[in-house]
Amino acid sequence: MLSTKTLYLLYLSTGFAVGFGHCIGMCGPIVVTFSLNLKEKSIFFPQLLYHLGRITTYVALGGLVAAAGSLTMVAAHIASLQKGVMVFSGVFIVFMGLAMAGWLPISRIFADYSSPRGWISRWFGRLLKIKSNIAYLPLGLLLGLLPCGPVYTALLGSARAGMDAGSAYHGLLAGMGLMGAFGMGTVPALFLVAAVADMGWLKSRAIIYKTGAILMMVAGIIFIIRAFRF
Amino acid sequence: MKHLRILLGAALLTAFLLAAPGLISAGDKYQEMINCDLHAGPCTLALSENAVTLEVIPRPVKAMQDLLFRVTLTEKLPHSTVAPYIDLGMPGMNMGPNRVQLKAVGDLVYEGRGVIVRCPSGRRTWQATVTLPDGGQTRFIFDVIY
Repeated sequence: MLSTKTLYLLYLSTGFAVGFGHCIGMCGPIVVTFSLNLKEKSIFFPQLLYHLGRITTYVALGGLVAAAGSLTMVAAHIASLQKGVMVFSGVFIVFMGLAMAGWLPISRIFADYSSPRGWISRWFGRLLKIKSNIAYLPLGLLLGLLPCGPVYTALLGSARAGMDAGSAYHGLLAGMGLMGAFGMGTVPALFLVAAVADMGWLKSRAIIYKTGAILMMVAGIIFIIRAFRF
Repeated sequence: MKHLRILLGAALLTAFLLAAPGLISAGDKYQEMINCDLHAGPCTLALSENAVTLEVIPRPVKAMQDLLFRVTLTEKLPHSTVAPYIDLGMPGMNMGPNRVQLKAVGDLVYEGRGVIVRCPSGRRTWQATVTLPDGGQTRFIFDVIY
């Protein structure tokens, strides 16, 4: 049997490999949405908070699965919730695409709030600006529930680690730790995608920006269709 | 002009919504690699001097449920103390390591429990790579019900 340290390293490297091989394709549209919508703002803290939220959910799921000693049991209970999250993320991406393209007169919830007039607007604008970064944390917490093959596979390992541990407490810690390591491993790939989408020349050209918005809408619709087929 | 643009947009969106499910399912180009129908029963593949039979129970084979994997060989392994194992994955997609460790339950029969996870992409073609220690590997590619 592998030592605990080796298992953590294995999960970290698995997350890293899966991040580049799988997450870019499946979760790329979400981080690209954030990047494009943040416009001139730095993507670093919003993305960091989003991933922190996502990893926190993985850790919680890891603990839950390890305590239950079964992935299938937990997955059966959260399946409908995951479906809802998938629909939500699809609708979210479509709405963001519509807002970016200027086809939807809604304020950009996670973007800059320009030219507020009057002190109430200014104050509200500042408040929203603070919220705009913080909002990425609950968003990450929620989207961490998105159904994902490699996450399920990692959870299988957490369930086994939970069963192999000497006590329920150690099993819980092992499950949480392994999912934390896995989640951290997936961050570099998604940060890279976000950084590429954040490139100045990409955002400064209206036609590219609008094309990006349309592609986002398409990605969002695919998310929704997949959710209903899930 | 504005109404025309809205109508055109709505038509494009409707066309996409109607076409997308077909496009998504057509994306599973790996279906043609399927060499085994595990829903129907056990499958046998040759591996040098040995013949490896894989059976998955219960049938039909569904994702996200506890499954029993049974491997039967026709010849004894060179190092009979080391049991074979199965790596589950999808062709062309990294799903992370998912190994089913098998235990000998008979002279040439090995069993282990595992789960085939569900991929939200909708792709249902999976592969079970059976490894015989010092005896090589063989890949069973099959359909899974989601």
